[in-house]
Amino acid sequence: MAELQVEICGVKLKNPVIAASGTFGFGREYNEVYDISVLGGISTKGMTVEPRLGNPVPRIAEGKSVILNAVGLQNPSADYFIKNDLAFLKSKGIAIIANVAGKTLDDYGAICAKLDGLVDFVELNISCPNVKAGGMAFGIKPESIAEVTRVSKSSLKKTPLMVKLSPNVESIPLNAQAAQKGGADCISLINTLTGMAIDLEKRKPVIANNTGGVSGAGIKPVALRMVYEAAHSVDIPVIGMGGITSGTDALEFMLAGARAVQVGTANFTDVNAMPRIIAEMNAWLDSHGVKDINEIVNTLKLN
Amino acid sequence: MKDLKATVKSNERIAENIYSLTVTLPESAGEIHGGQFVNISTGDSSHLLRRPLGVAKVEGNDVTVCYQIKGSGTQNLATLSSGASVNILLPLGNGFNISGYKNVAVIGGGVGVFPLVATVREHCKNINFYTYVGFRNKSAVCLLDELEKSKTLTVVTDDGSYGKKGNAVEAFFADAANVKADAIIACGPPVMLKVLKTEMQKRNVKTPCLVSLEERMGCGLGACLVCVCKKHDGQNARVCKDGPVFDIDEVEL
Repeated sequence: MAELQVEICGVKLKNPVIAASGTFGFGREYNEVYDISVLGGISTKGMTVEPRLGNPVPRIAEGKSVILNAVGLQNPSADYFIKNDLAFLKSKGIAIIANVAGKTLDDYGAICAKLDGLVDFVELNISCPNVKAGGMAFGIKPESIAEVTRVSKSSLKKTPLMVKLSPNVESIPLNAQAAQKGGADCISLINTLTGMAIDLEKRKPVIANNTGGVSGAGIKPVALRMVYEAAHSVDIPVIGMGGITSGTDALEFMLAGARAVQVGTANFTDVNAMPRIIAEMNAWLDSHGVKDINEIVNTLKLN
Repeated sequence: MKDLKATVKSNERIAENIYSLTVTLPESAGEIHGGQFVNISTGDSSHLLRRPLGVAKVEGNDVTVCYQIKGSGTQNLATLSSGASVNILLPLGNGFNISGYKNVAVIGGGVGVFPLVATVREHCKNINFYTYVGFRNKSAVCLLDELEKSKTLTVVTDDGSYGKKGNAVEAFFADAANVKADAIIACGPPVMLKVLKTEMQKRNVKTPCLVSLEERMGCGLGACLVCVCKKHDGQNARVCKDGPVFDIDEVEL
């Protein structure tokens, strides 16, 4: 048994595997299948100040080794989460990452203030590709990333701030540095890549929103490259995600510089994906004589 | 609810583009009710989503689901032969809760008959079923032997190539005066359910009516909020977790 514990911004995670936002709700449904206390953490469904109903259906489509989704931030509000789901997650002893989005800078400030001190991290969704008012406007350019990060950070006196970066941008290094400059305590990436699936017979896009965020195994090479770029542009911790389906996938992200990983779409393919990934990471580390997972972080040797 | 590795027992074509897949579970998945569904892998790892398919039959640890070939996922599913291994998460959703009723009208259209078959099988000892099923044409007709357990069975087709020409909703209302159903259950294409609702309102039919809805799904567990439908109270319901069976008065069709 290798040591799997990692520490990010002073928060100890029993292992580096975190459920990615939007695929895992607030944990209750998957907890009917397995005890989610085995996880390192959970990033909640993206929350806003007010409840939202999200986009029309269909909200999902499939491509080869990828899926596309455009749920559009349906959520019961941050207040509802605090009242109804927070205690349940706390009872699980896993790192709680509150994923938040907003329309305006004030929204980001307000929702961060609500959650400050209640959760282990606040993860800023400034890159939801499926909602016009989902923060995407903030997530493209370094200047606006720095600004929304600064506003959010000023509302967080106790809870570390994680900024989730979009891949649909010009420069990952510049955007990662902008988040750091704005006061981010850590960054996570990548959010979904904007894509489209078409129904040829109907001659229409499959998803009601026309475009959706692409995720799943097929995006892993893009995600690895971007995580590597981010980890080599900033000093703050990086949490990597994008197409992780196995323990070796997760370890590749850590080699590229991620201190922890998030797993999303794999949960749909295999409801037990995350416990399996944790076991597979352990087995690889044991078979390679690595005593502590932290030893492999950022040890990629370039050709 | 359990996620199991099951073995394909049979996978047969039962009508044009329609297959019946029976898998043997390695252990019991607990009680499975008509109207509930399973989330099953397609056998091709490039399909990241499992396919949500309504349960048509349960016999011991053998579970039968039926499906129509719609895209590459179901196409791949149709290539699985006996002995193949599939991952199956079950049972999911709520099913038709009709215990306590005596006379139930069953209205099914096309692939919508599959979950109704399981429901008729489950309750036929205690409930008189009056079943009306409609298909596109003769080549799409299937599973009638299972529905014979109903007290009456009326089959119609869009073109009259099997049974009378017409649709299942018309056939039900043509017969409604004789049946005196104390509940209605229905599953079929959205337009069929919409017509049923409109006709019930028009004719002032107050009989409790449960409908099973279909939507593209992600997790199948209620976590990802992909498969929602609109409720009349303005909120969304999750088809996979809060449904797929809803009171017809509760949801917008």
